Amino acid sequence: MGAAATYFRHLREAVVSIFDGMAVSASHLIRRPYTIQYPDRMPVRVQDTLPFRYRGILDVDLEICTGCLACDRACPIDCIAIAIEKNAATREIVISQFDIDLAKCMYCGLCSEPCPTGAIHHTTEFEGADFSLESLIRRFIAEPVVAYKAKKGAEPDVAVADLLTRGMTYVDEWAQPGSDKPAAVAAAPQAAVAPVVPVPGPGK
Amino acid sequence: MSMLRTEEMTLNMGPQHPSTHGVLRFVIRTDGEVMREAIPDVGYLHRSIEKIAEKVGYHGFMPYTDRVDYVCAMFTNQAWGMACEKLAGVEVPRRGEYCRVIAAEFNRIASHLLTVGLMGMDIGAMTPFVHALREREMINDLIEELCGARLTFNYMRIGGVAWDLPPGWRDKALAYLDHLEPIVNEFNALFSYNKICIERLAKVAAIGPADAIDYNLVGPNLRAAGVNWDVRRDLPYSVYPEFDFEIPLGSGEWGAIGDAMDRYMMRIRELTQSARILRQALTQIPDGPVLAKVVRNFKPAAGECQVRVESARGDQGWYVVSDGTSYPWRVHVRTGSFAAMGMIQKLSRGLMIADLVVLIASLDVIAPEIDR
Repeated sequence: MGAAATYFRHLREAVVSIFDGMAVSASHLIRRPYTIQYPDRMPVRVQDTLPFRYRGILDVDLEICTGCLACDRACPIDCIAIAIEKNAATREIVISQFDIDLAKCMYCGLCSEPCPTGAIHHTTEFEGADFSLESLIRRFIAEPVVAYKAKKGAEPDVAVADLLTRGMTYVDEWAQPGSDKPAAVAAAPQAAVAPVVPVPGPGK
Repeated sequence: MSMLRTEEMTLNMGPQHPSTHGVLRFVIRTDGEVMREAIPDVGYLHRSIEKIAEKVGYHGFMPYTDRVDYVCAMFTNQAWGMACEKLAGVEVPRRGEYCRVIAAEFNRIASHLLTVGLMGMDIGAMTPFVHALREREMINDLIEELCGARLTFNYMRIGGVAWDLPPGWRDKALAYLDHLEPIVNEFNALFSYNKICIERLAKVAAIGPADAIDYNLVGPNLRAAGVNWDVRRDLPYSVYPEFDFEIPLGSGEWGAIGDAMDRYMMRIRELTQSARILRQALTQIPDGPVLAKVVRNFKPAAGECQVRVESARGDQGWYVVSDGTSYPWRVHVRTGSFAAMGMIQKLSRGLMIADLVVLIASLDVIAPEIDR
């Protein structure tokens, strides 16, 4: 009799606990779904909803690149190739090559950390599939350009002012060694962070 | 009928098998459904990460540490940072330490959610996996906002962290914790206290405390066997002594101490304990810098050091030898998954083949961490 009682008790427990679980599942029928229909049927591109610090495909603003090679030195896998020449007469740096091999890049962000102007930075672009490895090498320079040089005291050039503002915002996002400045972080553009897609956040 | 010829069968499980959690292979000698022995064959995911450290230098190795254990990369980040700081005598600012603990504990929750979800999937329940991944996704969103990546974080630096908490992030994190605690109960109702789940996991591959110590199990697997050991409390590092939290222990309430159900419930209990640490850390976090001044050409003095962190897969030891140049002379990682693999051969004797899947899932081994 004891064995039969145990058997039926187990049976009852199994049925009850299955219904407990199914109640949880059923309650999700009326909750908002957390999934999104990528890539179709999106009100905005996913790229526009990603946070400001998102480490997507690298981009370089050559107009504000100082040719300091800090990114090249910081890269642990040497996926950045930069060639510079120093013009002895005008004391200008001429950049003749700036290639980033995206097939090698591991999106660690170590290159954009030491950049003084925020010229090399991660975008929120992540769709990088391509048909050949060769086409994944981004060549940013077609013909040699003169590197950007910050003028002391003077207002930045109008042509690069916007780029510089964006670049410096990007630089400010990084923690500065030893400095106590949460204010710089607070100044980061929140527009880029605010979610536009109705994604149910935590706490719903 | 006694003249029927019988023989043992050798069966390969893996390296590509959906339930082996990465590229793992088992050579199984079976007698029908019962295993005589399962011999783990590791090394399929060996990427010489320790050797790479000798080539890329101290700062450049940080992103590689993410790949040691990609399910909980914050701990490997933190361990590498701690090792370098110990070698060079760098002191991390207090806010930096808090940021590290916050990121790491969020990562522990994410890792344990994946583990309990995979446990469900490995024994044939798809729904809990989806529920657990949904919660993990929310943590990924938080971490993405914090450091820009969802899996290979590269959040920490030698001397602190690379980014301060973004504005408004603290409130979002606290809101998530409020959301998590009822979800854990919901998950328990959905799966953990399901009679079928309990019957399936209880008394399977029980590991007693003596065996667990003999085989050098660490972390949740060790605590599920009833051994009270947690690096966060017993060899305190970072700012863990400032928090009040409990170390859950396996009690054998489902039949045998240290069985698969105990190991599974250990993760569920650690979810709430991590949430408890996070709540304290997020409310106590002081103001100040998050990154100490460290030169770019980092050259610690010649010497060696060993650091230990309590990762989601247990006590993770990093041994670094410096010869005074800008490249480490030798780096070695001792991981919890590797130790757990050593025990599978012993545990597998007499188990059913289907129970091997439960055993792997309950030990929470992650292939990249076994092989590095």
